[in-house]
Amino acid sequence: MTRLLAAASAGALFLLLRLTTPAPPVIAVGLLALGLAAVAIATRWRWAATSAAVLFLIGYATALQIERRPVDVGAALGFGLALLLLLGAVDVSARALGASLRGRVVGATLGRFVGLGVGALAAAMLATALATVVATALTAAVAPLLAAAGALAFVWSLAALVKRAAGPS
Amino acid sequence: MTGRVTPLALSILAVASWAVSLGVLLARPELFLVALPGVLVLATLARRAARPVCSIAHRISSDRLFEGDALTVIVTVSSPARVALLELLGPRPPGAARGAGRPRALMTLRAGDVVEWSYELRFPRRGVHDLGAIVVRIRDRLGLRTWEYRHVEPMAVRVYPRVVPLRSLPRPFHTQPSVGDYVSSALGEGIEPGDVRQFAPGDRIKQVNWRASLRLGQLYVTQRHRERNADVVLMLDTLAEVGAPPETTLDQGVRAAASLATAYLARKDRVGLITYGGVLSWVRPASGPVQYERLADGLLRADVVFTYVAKDLQRVPARVLSPQALVLAITPLLDRRFAKAVLDLAARGFDVVVLVVSPVAVTRAAIARSPIDDLAGRLWDLERRADLTELRRHGLPVLEWRPPEPLEAALVSVPRRRARLASAG
Repeated sequence: MTRLLAAASAGALFLLLRLTTPAPPVIAVGLLALGLAAVAIATRWRWAATSAAVLFLIGYATALQIERRPVDVGAALGFGLALLLLLGAVDVSARALGASLRGRVVGATLGRFVGLGVGALAAAMLATALATVVATALTAAVAPLLAAAGALAFVWSLAALVKRAAGPS
Repeated sequence: MTGRVTPLALSILAVASWAVSLGVLLARPELFLVALPGVLVLATLARRAARPVCSIAHRISSDRLFEGDALTVIVTVSSPARVALLELLGPRPPGAARGAGRPRALMTLRAGDVVEWSYELRFPRRGVHDLGAIVVRIRDRLGLRTWEYRHVEPMAVRVYPRVVPLRSLPRPFHTQPSVGDYVSSALGEGIEPGDVRQFAPGDRIKQVNWRASLRLGQLYVTQRHRERNADVVLMLDTLAEVGAPPETTLDQGVRAAASLATAYLARKDRVGLITYGGVLSWVRPASGPVQYERLADGLLRADVVFTYVAKDLQRVPARVLSPQALVLAITPLLDRRFAKAVLDLAARGFDVVVLVVSPVAVTRAAIARSPIDDLAGRLWDLERRADLTELRRHGLPVLEWRPPEPLEAALVSVPRRRARLASAG
């Protein structure tokens, strides 16, 4: 069941790529990512799933760059959630290997992701509104520098958060 | 209890970092939105989560088994609070085979839930196995953090060697003063008739042989042979073994020793044990069901311990290896030190019978058949026959057992002359 969930999310990711652009390079990257996801699902190998997710992401970024369409919040959020679902489902299926399942393990995983999707949608609305306000106040010359510095600080703080949580509790 | 971040959290961190970096490089806000669910998930790590509490208890269906038997491990889990994902890794000692059910379980618990999970383990080989530890892993709601600890309840299972019933046993030369099943040459109380002699003061009336008395005109009494027990010492060679577990030469030797011990104890004999290998250990001869427990415990722990040192049997106390005892040496004859020890015992006047567990048969059963291996096996067999002949030349009765043939088949080949000597002893 968890493998089915992972396969469904990999399929959804490829479909989203295909809907964003039918450009052959993007489709090629998507197919490569799909193959890697299949390997991850078959072997329950978490790092293959992570690589597949990054490849899907690269394909999506390329597709966005090619098409240059207006921002589609729903599609982007759906893509992010599908990536997360792929990682989560492969992780649970790796845990479930050779184990007897008791209770609603798969159902609970799915439920958590649905709740997360709702939360992410609300956060995205808030972030979009906030970004619109901030964007009007910024000059075009400063924006890229600020974005780069902000991204660096953001990734660093995420890593620090994970590192702190990894310590003894 | 150890808390740590799961590989899933690191995967999400990697993907979110890629999304944010690509978003900045390509100036596409959609990529920040792609990173958003992952970032929200990782943000939950900022909260210091309390250690989840759940109580675990486990029990086993039996703490004593014979080889090949199975037991059930039953684990009961309860939690006062909700547990998102609980992973349990039940005890599975090395050498134990899985039966019905799985020794790993993944479960979700609601507050107040009590879940029982069970699985079967089959033990093909003797030994004392620890079944006391369960590894418990509890994950948080999103699977980013995990707490791990070991739940330990002292619990062990003793797996005794398989025992086969035996009828033909090598008979000891010497008997002991206690009552047993062997007809002794000494006269006294018993049921086997012996000589007839003239009545003497002190003889009981019930001993009078009326037929002889009437014919000869004088009172005659029938003397009877005493029924006595004997001391049997099983000497197990633990210097070397060949074959694949659970059918190595030592495993077969241990099974033979257990079967012989059971059969001799049933005849009221006193049975002792010496394990001769890297470690020299012994069990003093005694009789009764409790003695079987002692012998079985000694056999459970019998294992090959490599050594260059040849152990001296002089160190074994005389009350363990008495000169009147029948010594049954069980060996694959892979190490010459054991043969030397046996010859030394025979030279000191001990009554020794050698039961050889054929390593050729055991090895050939463990490897795939091929013409070269068959040829090598035949050559090895010829070499061993020469070794056995050498032992027989020293006057030792040597019985060769080729598993999976029944042990009884090897024991019936005890020389007849020996049996006659035993009954006369």
